[in-house]
Amino acid sequence: MDFISNQEPQNREMLAAIGVSSVEDLFETVSAKLRLPRPIHDDGLSEFEGMKLMEGIAAKNTFPQFDNYLGAGAYEHHVPAIVGMICGKSEFLTSYTPYQPEASQGMLQAIFEFQSVLCALTGLDVSNASLYDGASACAEALLMAVRCQKKRNKALIAQSLHPHYRAVAEQYISSHDIQIESIAFQSDGQLDMQALERQLDENTATILVQYPSFLGGIDDLKRVSDYAKSKGALTIICANPLVYGLYASAQELGADIAVGDCQPFGLPLQFGGPYVGYIACRQDLMRQLPGRIVGETVDTQGRRGFTLTLQAREQHIRREKATSNICTNQALAALASLISILWYGKEGVRRLALTNFQRAAYLRDKLKPLTLVTPFSQTPVFNEFIVKFKRPMAETLKHFHRHGIHPGVDLGCFYPQLADHLLVAVTEVKNQSQLDSYCAAAKELI
Amino acid sequence: MSKTVFEKSQPEQHAYSLPVDAPDFQRYQPVDSLLRQTPLNLPEVSEIDLTRHFCELSRKNMSIDTNFYPLGSCTMKLNPRVNEWCAALPGFTRTHPLAAEEFVQGNLEVIFDLLQILCRIGGMSAGSLLPNAGAQGEYTGVQMIAAYHHQRGDHQRNEFLIPDNAHGTNPATAATAGFKIVPIRTNAQGDMDLNHLRQMASDHTAGLMLTNPNTLGLFSPVIAEITEIVHQAGGLLYYDGANLNAILNIVRPGDMGFDVMHLNLHKTFSTPHGGGGPGSGPVLCNDKLKTFLPVPRVELHKDVYRIIWEDSASIGKIASFHGNFAIYLRAYLYAKLHGDFGLRRIGEQSVLNANYLKTRLSSLFTIPFPQFCMHEFVVQADNYLDKGVRALDIAKRLLDYGIHAPTIYFPLIIKECMLIEPTESESKATLDHFIDVMKKIVEEINVDPDLVKTAPHTLSVTRLDEARAAKNPILSGLTL
Repeated sequence: MDFISNQEPQNREMLAAIGVSSVEDLFETVSAKLRLPRPIHDDGLSEFEGMKLMEGIAAKNTFPQFDNYLGAGAYEHHVPAIVGMICGKSEFLTSYTPYQPEASQGMLQAIFEFQSVLCALTGLDVSNASLYDGASACAEALLMAVRCQKKRNKALIAQSLHPHYRAVAEQYISSHDIQIESIAFQSDGQLDMQALERQLDENTATILVQYPSFLGGIDDLKRVSDYAKSKGALTIICANPLVYGLYASAQELGADIAVGDCQPFGLPLQFGGPYVGYIACRQDLMRQLPGRIVGETVDTQGRRGFTLTLQAREQHIRREKATSNICTNQALAALASLISILWYGKEGVRRLALTNFQRAAYLRDKLKPLTLVTPFSQTPVFNEFIVKFKRPMAETLKHFHRHGIHPGVDLGCFYPQLADHLLVAVTEVKNQSQLDSYCAAAKELI
Repeated sequence: MSKTVFEKSQPEQHAYSLPVDAPDFQRYQPVDSLLRQTPLNLPEVSEIDLTRHFCELSRKNMSIDTNFYPLGSCTMKLNPRVNEWCAALPGFTRTHPLAAEEFVQGNLEVIFDLLQILCRIGGMSAGSLLPNAGAQGEYTGVQMIAAYHHQRGDHQRNEFLIPDNAHGTNPATAATAGFKIVPIRTNAQGDMDLNHLRQMASDHTAGLMLTNPNTLGLFSPVIAEITEIVHQAGGLLYYDGANLNAILNIVRPGDMGFDVMHLNLHKTFSTPHGGGGPGSGPVLCNDKLKTFLPVPRVELHKDVYRIIWEDSASIGKIASFHGNFAIYLRAYLYAKLHGDFGLRRIGEQSVLNANYLKTRLSSLFTIPFPQFCMHEFVVQADNYLDKGVRALDIAKRLLDYGIHAPTIYFPLIIKECMLIEPTESESKATLDHFIDVMKKIVEEINVDPDLVKTAPHTLSVTRLDEARAAKNPILSGLTL
């Protein structure tokens, strides 16, 4: 099948108007040598057949039949029904980037509100319209921080930053004259502050840390930013934005730039994407932000309106001198996050964050007698924590799978020294009986 | 005047509900010293007010579903709803990106198969779906070219040749990847100036980034010469396939001599643009470059799909996980529905629709390039400058007639440029209506140019003061 309107009668008229006898004539500039023969058989599918095909493929994914405790940058949260309803509306779903502001006030205002809620959550002054994902947000933030600190070319990255985010950041930085150093974590997963103070010097442009860290722990980031400030370096905090509902904001922690992924708000796991990266910063760094930004203005009659602004930073104006090459970002995913954040609202975001913390704390506590004591056992956390079972990882995973549970992320895949450590994420979608079932399965591993 | 959601806040109103709490949960309290001290300034809005807020916003937005949208270089074709149905299947949405391979064989099959389909269309041998949009696809491809030269010890190749009509992402991308930009001129026929290319190609050339059909909608009859000149200088050829509509299953970038390319699933493969993303910009390449493709990759071994997370030859990672997976689902279904047969029809119909429009508009506007166009074409709205009417004004007046404006002032090299792309979806009646509206606007220009110069008149706002927005930036609506 196809979605083409014009058929033989219309095509005949159009060819006549052009003054050619067949469509082939329109391809005269394409050398005959390069042209492929036209297929004879219709090898397409009907809509019904296409749907059957996709249902069949979806059924080959057995993952959803299990209770899922995997997090590590992708969290299973409730997505409010209103999110799909609004994001599915034609005017949002099927519009382009708002280049004609008068015809795009809806999307522009929505993006403006997305920027606003990110400012509310992080406590920082300005946000852009979104970046691709958490990883690219980290990469863009590092490049931005180095642009702001022209005479310095060292960037420190916490070893406890999501290893994928770090890999993407390193890839983006590889073509620039920027030296990257890693800040180690201690045996309890907390940043090694002594190492940090040794490594953060007058040549350091910026330090990038994660909150909670990839290992689930909450570091003393105020201390990090105070020290960075004393040396003239910028602090970038990469955070799950839900944490700001409960714990100190990026601004309270002294961040100059806040980044992360809004996936926990309004976006299903969907195998890793689309998610939505965010970046917010202090007012005075605004002109170094990458990507689209929406601003408020007035029309010729003095009425409020919204438009893409500060475009002198962007590729379509500045070409090779742009702050980033990003063009298309994640607008619809940003809309989904915005709606979800607004659905929870002022009190709901706090309560959502609190119940995430409490459910995770409950499972962590109940697992203590069933697992090995490790240096991680006392680290303050949010909704994700480390456990070490008494059996090897492969056996542990197989055992939980038999109980219909994906028990967490195998940290040995990311840090060799953390073999047999499991990173467990708990959100509001887990009730007490599910958490108790997890413990019951764990008990059999003693 | 439109209120922001912050201005609609009323104390203690809310929409949310939370799953049942348990006394056993409430025993756990976070450490005081970690708690947020400043208030969380989010609005308090009930579900009905939230619903109405976004419905009100939606009414202030044009879209493909509601308006003809001939926005050149953006391929605003129908976004079939069956794609949305597919992407929402729980079998896909509930899969975690770090799930072990055995539990997500369906996802991996889609990634593997879609890549095979795209490679066939591109005439390439391998690829990666990972790039999250076209610009990231470009970045990935350019980094692969950099890695190729680096591996061969060709360290002096620090220049990228880029035509002056290229999309802004091309020079921005090559600069982001650390290259010096060398612009190549366009000749009077709208094609690359071959002499200029010969002059600039050297042993400093890392590669050429090219769109063909170019941003003027023209397929280069000398494409073979272009690729040969660059290859002979030792450079590689990057194909910007953001918009592949015109050549789908008709001619392949690999056969034209390109080494690496990207395409945009959110254009050619009908995935919705969502007001500015999410997109997806898969990168495809030939055998010269495939070892440098980013990770993770999906491979098939004895009927089982495997994820390769690391590869030392790779340029590395460019996305958090597996890229915009739910976009692949839509593109995959779209490709399967069409088959090779249907994809060919898309190419031919998009070119026929565009040439019809171009022919019919030629009495109203300057047509800088008379030859047949591909899926899009440029016209110059320069015959009304004596009345003080510019392309911008015509674009704004179109909005009053319920038609989204074409792309204007791009490519930058064409004066008073309008880049028009009707896509294969549109019917002749819609195209005729567009032509009639253009005629009417030209009449208006002759009778009452101010009407056009002050357009739009019928939308939620009149022309916006963009200079003011940039001069005194108000970027957040926090009012609480």
